[in-house]
Amino acid sequence: METVINDYISRELVPDAALLPLANDTSLLDSGILDSLSLLRLVVFLEERFGVTMGDADLLPENFVSVNAICAYLRAREPRKEAARG
Amino acid sequence: MAYLLQRLLTEAAARQPQRPAVASGDCLLTYQELDQLSNKVARALLRLGVAPGDRVGILAPKSAAAVVGLYGALKAGACYVPLDPKAPAGRLSHIARDSGAAVIVADEARTSQAATLAGTVPWPADVMVMGVPGRPRSQEAARVPAQGAATVPWTAVTGESGEPLAEERAIETDLAYILYTSGSTGTPKGVMISHRNSLTFVDWAAAAAGLGEQDRVCSPAPLHFDLSVFDIFAACRAAACLTVLPEGAATFPVSIARWLEAERVSVWYSVPSVLTLLACYGNLQQWDLSGLRTVIFAGEVFPPKHLARLIAELPHPRYLNWYGPTETNVVTAFEVPTGWADAQPVPIGKACANTEVFAVTSEGRRVSRPGEEGELYVRGPSLMRGYWRQRAKTSRALVRNPFQEECDELVYRTGDLVTLELDGNYAYLGRRDSMVKIRGYRVELGEVEATLHRHPGIREAAVLPVPDELLGSRLRAVVTADGSNLTREDVLDHCRRWLPGYMVPDIVEFREEMPRTSTGKVDRAGLAHEQNTLEPTGDGFRNKR
Repeated sequence: METVINDYISRELVPDAALLPLANDTSLLDSGILDSLSLLRLVVFLEERFGVTMGDADLLPENFVSVNAICAYLRAREPRKEAARG
Repeated sequence: MAYLLQRLLTEAAARQPQRPAVASGDCLLTYQELDQLSNKVARALLRLGVAPGDRVGILAPKSAAAVVGLYGALKAGACYVPLDPKAPAGRLSHIARDSGAAVIVADEARTSQAATLAGTVPWPADVMVMGVPGRPRSQEAARVPAQGAATVPWTAVTGESGEPLAEERAIETDLAYILYTSGSTGTPKGVMISHRNSLTFVDWAAAAAGLGEQDRVCSPAPLHFDLSVFDIFAACRAAACLTVLPEGAATFPVSIARWLEAERVSVWYSVPSVLTLLACYGNLQQWDLSGLRTVIFAGEVFPPKHLARLIAELPHPRYLNWYGPTETNVVTAFEVPTGWADAQPVPIGKACANTEVFAVTSEGRRVSRPGEEGELYVRGPSLMRGYWRQRAKTSRALVRNPFQEECDELVYRTGDLVTLELDGNYAYLGRRDSMVKIRGYRVELGEVEATLHRHPGIREAAVLPVPDELLGSRLRAVVTADGSNLTREDVLDHCRRWLPGYMVPDIVEFREEMPRTSTGKVDRAGLAHEQNTLEPTGDGFRNKR
């Protein structure tokens, strides 16, 4: 899951190649990788790829601060789906 | 008396010297401080040789430093040109060169970016570094960018006199700012706005929003987006406080909502997509937003179901829909009635004060009956002076008033198709050309296509909008390549070097051949039709089945 999300962010959202390679604990907020536009694209990707629906209780900075945080949040939310998809 | 934007500041400072003018991060500037600091900047610019009519680039996000800098430029008789620090270097360099920027005023964090940018123009452009008023700042001098050019540190600026300048250096028909917007032929074009053009909007807007000195006004729009004219100048006209949404708070809807509560923002002005995010993800009932009395949106159509949700979550503010291209400022307005829950988008409304709009049918008749459709034209003092150094483009946009036989008068063709409603309001229908809106930003598909064509490995490219509820549109690029080793990443990297993020296609499709109509043109209708049988995925399209 970390690899899938890191790949997506690295490929689609990182605005400047100088930020690559992206570590899973790099802050997506302080580095400027996530802004309101890229956050939306990431949400659409996560919803489609991992079959989750995000509401207003989910779009919190702490859930998106890094690749690791996103994975921790998704695992806490959808434990079975994650196991099924591997 | 001269009708100049900087007079809004000197008058507010005389009337309300101690009231807050700009609240930005840790920095709070009173009207007196803003007035005096901008006098210092103006003097420092004059010392650099800035002459009336010169262009001064402002390389900074919306901030106290940026506001001080742009008022300083205006007081020096110059016209300011916003340079978006997030834009790719190639685009910024084009704008700096095209506008002929004599000086680049940058905030401290962009010192080296400004020096690099100044080094890309063929004349010695000076760099002025803005400190953050009221906080310690580094004394580090920037690299001098080009021979003969100066770098003016903030200490030199603050050493200037803060007294008013002896005389005005502009008249009301002079340019106040140039806003660069997407251009269909591949490079951005500069919309020239004079003091009179801008003040026509500012005077109307301050009254229409009912701005007063108690107001705390926020627009998240950056300086290069014309929505920022409202919070920078209309707030100043009312001696209200411009409150700057910090970049760190703008990403997450809940952070925006929390900030609105903490800052007690009373008037908000943004594109609908930001409000849609707030409605869907802002958890609005958790926050005390009772101070928010007016919400204004502009720049694109507000999807009705999201507007209804926003009003349901936040019923107490007035909701105003403003309409107008950058070239005309806001020209029509509509106040959303209380309890509105229509399935149709809200109309763009009726003409603002001191402005006339009319629609022209495809047969050249003036729309006069409800239900008729036509292209919207605008006449009035808010119309741009033209496109900077683009006479041919200007003459296609500013045309003779077709219904004024006796004398020549220029009106602006918006390219927007509208219909007249029973109650006299205009409703927006769509575009006459291939411009789309992405989060309120204008995107000429031709500019994205021209950028793709610049890649040596791309033979042909067509860019199509894919409607998206949250973003307005996403972009789909269909390309044919010379050779087969061109990857999607290559295409995206190339686009990111030249285009701002919102103009970079989401979807890249490679084709052997571009589909064509019987006349040999790219078959856009056919390509668009394919979209109906596809649905978006995170990184492309998949078949719906």
